[in-house]
Formats: sequence, C-alpha cells, structure tokens
Amino acid sequence: MCLGIPGRILDLRDEAGLAMGEVDFGGVRRDVCLAYVADQVKPGDYVVVHVGFAISRVDEEEARRTFESLRAMSQLEELDWMRETADASLRPFEQGGAP
Amino acid sequence: MRYLEEYRDPAVARALVERIHRTASRRWTLMEVCGGQTHTIVRQGLDELLGDAVEMIHGPGCPVCVTPLEQIDKALAIAARPEVLFTSFGDMLRVPGSECDLQQLRARGAAVRVVYSPLDALELARRQPDREVVFFAVGFETTAPANAMAVWRARELGVPNFSVLVSHVTVPPAMTAILDSPDNRVQGFLAAGHVCSVMGWTEYEPIAAAYRVPIVVTGFEPVDILEGMAMCIAQLEAGRHEVENQYVRSVTRSGTVPARRQVERVFELVDRKWRGIGTIPRSGLALRPEFAAWDAERKFGLADVTVAEPAECHAGEVLQGRLKPHQCPAFGTLCTPERPLGAPMVSSEGACAAYYNYGRLRTPAGGAA
Ligand code: SF4
Repeated sequence: MCLGIPGRILDLRDEAGLAMGEVDFGGVRRDVCLAYVADQVKPGDYVVVHVGFAISRVDEEEARRTFESLRAMSQLEELDWMRETADASLRPFEQGGAP
Repeated sequence: MRYLEEYRDPAVARALVERIHRTASRRWTLMEVCGGQTHTIVRQGLDELLGDAVEMIHGPGCPVCVTPLEQIDKALAIAARPEVLFTSFGDMLRVPGSECDLQQLRARGAAVRVVYSPLDALELARRQPDREVVFFAVGFETTAPANAMAVWRARELGVPNFSVLVSHVTVPPAMTAILDSPDNRVQGFLAAGHVCSVMGWTEYEPIAAAYRVPIVVTGFEPVDILEGMAMCIAQLEAGRHEVENQYVRSVTRSGTVPARRQVERVFELVDRKWRGIGTIPRSGLALRPEFAAWDAERKFGLADVTVAEPAECHAGEVLQGRLKPHQCPAFGTLCTPERPLGAPMVSSEGACAAYYNYGRLRTPAGGAA
C-alpha cells in the first residue's frame, strides 16, 4: 500500500464536488480521486496513485519504468484488489459471501 | 546474489557500486525506512553486494508490520458484530490478532470485505444505510490523504453509518525514536521516497541537524537505492549531515500541498503504539474531535482496549534493526508466511517475509518456497 502505482488519466469529472477520473493501470481501469492534483492534470497525463488517490504527476517514461519495476518486484497486488473489487465491491454484501 | 546484468541500467548500477566501494573508507551503517526498499535490497542482494562498505538495517517502514496487536484485536471485535460490514486494504486480512485474523473471521461468517480505496467503503455505507460500514484506516503518510478524504466526505455527504478504525503512523518520529535509543547504530537514513512525495522533506531537516545524521530521500528501485547509499556515504565521509533528494523524479521539498492540508484538517498528532516497539510520542494520527462521530473506536466503545504481544515474536527488535529477521528463533520454523507469528512475516513489505521469500534462511536446507 506504500508504493504508489502509476496510471494514465482517461477522463476527469466532478462528482458532487470531488474531482474524480478513470485511470488506466496497464489495462486495469479504475475510478480514482484526482482532488489532490486537479489543478495540474488533464486527460492523457500520468499520475502516481495510492489507494485510489492520485498523489503526484509523473511523465510517461517515469510511469512506464515504475510500473515495470513494480511488476518485477511482484508489487502490483493492489491491482488484484482493484480487479477483484472493480465490479463486486459496490454490490450489496451477502452474508458470508466471498469478496 | 543477483547479477548486475539483471538491472534495468546495468552500467549505471555497476558505476554506483564502484563509486560506493571507492568512497567508503570504512563500513557504514545505514537504515532504509521504506518496506518497498527493504524488498528491493533483499531481492537484489544489494546488502550482500556492498557488504564491506555498508551494513543495511531494515527499518520500521511497513505499516502493516507496525500496526499494534491491540488495533488488530479491535478490528476483529468490530468485524465480529452482526450489524457491521468491515472493510480493509487486502494486506491487513492475514495479520494475526490474539485469537485469529480477519480472513479466518470472514470464513466463520463475519462480513469482511477488501476494498481498494477508502472511498469504496464510504460508497458501500451510502448504498447500505441499514448497516454499519467500518474501514480499517492504516498506513503511513501515503494512505493518510485518502483516509482523510473519506472521513471528510462522510461528513460532507452526511453518512452516519460510516466510521474508521484509525491506526495511522508517521515516519519522522520513528526515525527520532531509533536515533534516541541508547544502542542505536544507524549513521544515516534512506528516507522513503513515496512518503516524501506526499509530505516533502521539511520535517527531516531538523532531525538531520539535531542528530548530525545524513538523510537521503530515496526511491525504491535498485539503481535509486544504490544512488541513495552513495549519496549518504559521501556525506558521512565528508562529515556532512544534510537532507538530500535522490528521488527528484517524484519528490519536491514541500510535497503534495493539497494532500498535506487535508490530512491536517482531519487528523491530529497523537502518541501511538508501534508493534513491538512500544509507544512513540506524537507518532500517530487520530481523528480531530470534530470528526468523532466517524471514529469507530468511540462508536463501538473500544478506545481503552490494550493487549500484550506474544513473547516468541521479535518483531520489535527486527523493526528497530537490532535483529536481522533470520536471527529470530521462530524465523522459518514456528513462523512462516503460511503461519505467521508476527506482522513482518505477513506483509510483502515486511522484513521477515522478504528474507523468507528470497531464501535468506539460517540453514541451507531451510526449504524456502
Ligand atoms: S520471524 Fe516471525 S516471529 Fe520472528 S520477528 Fe519475524 S514475524 Fe516475528
């Protein structure tokens, strides 16, 4: 959870006063809060994302390198949580069900 | 030991290794603070490669590992309540509590769910107003802005059935605690790059000056770490003690200001217990009084719970660099990633798991997976 994952911003929108956007992480897409970087990003830009929040902007080359090192270190498990939770997380919870 | 050819920039890595060997007139003792850096160092064998120039002590830089047992027990107590849907980052599920872990509790029927972002937990609360949705807000400064925003939004949107169990810790007080310890051996720090991309490095300047210790903000890739070591050793050799920034690609002196501001609006500094280390003054974050309605400890009446930690686990000594993981008597025998005794064996960022996974066993036939 400490190593941020870089991704590319696909779109930006305002969700009841909060800057949100879809971000692509090497093929896995996910809604991310962009409030902390909103004044410096536009679609197509790369950001480093910690637990659903963009924390800093990076250039494309740095984003690619970081992503590859995270992959090499097997430190992309957050992508699994993203994938696992992408469609399931917001469904009503059934008691005793798998995540 | 791994070969430099495996690095992305083998020539740069080789030049840095040579530079470190050339510069070091003696063996220096450095501590890397970030669990991601520990992972890289052990995986790439950087400490072995540079063994005669530098000893690396693995610091308390894994938030999962330093979460005290009593916070895990509080999480378990809350998650066991029938009205609660307990949500957490995935890496907290297997951290052992006194009785069991969250995953085992879920297998017994408790509503425990992994979320990727605390905003997902908030959204679950909005969609299920008849359930108490609790989020386990753990981590260093890298997750604090996310957790702060979730609580802020809960108030803004008026979501009464959402609350957070806060177990946030901050890095600089832990560094000071290590330096204050009478048997401290750390002579220089590699500070955690990703923490600093949020917070900047102004907090480290008084530490470097007061303790006359160089602090180099460092990334987590092999070449970053080699460069951070080289910069730190150059300072030590020259008798300097400044804060320097190796990780210029991502870190500025003032960090991400809107994120820092939001953390300050929602949280305040409190004394916080660290697993195996004990209480470090003003080293944790807790909700400010105006957010008390979203504080799970208050809501469920758990604020006063304290728990003693198991004696077999030497996490405290490992987290402070007094023991290497494989020097713990339980390492690889009583304690393995399948059946962890302590948090440093659970988390992939933990020093014990890194040693285990990369085959640093005491006995060659130890059977690392
Ligand atoms: S090896 Fe296991 S028991 Fe020993 S310090 Fe590490 S986590 Fe604790």
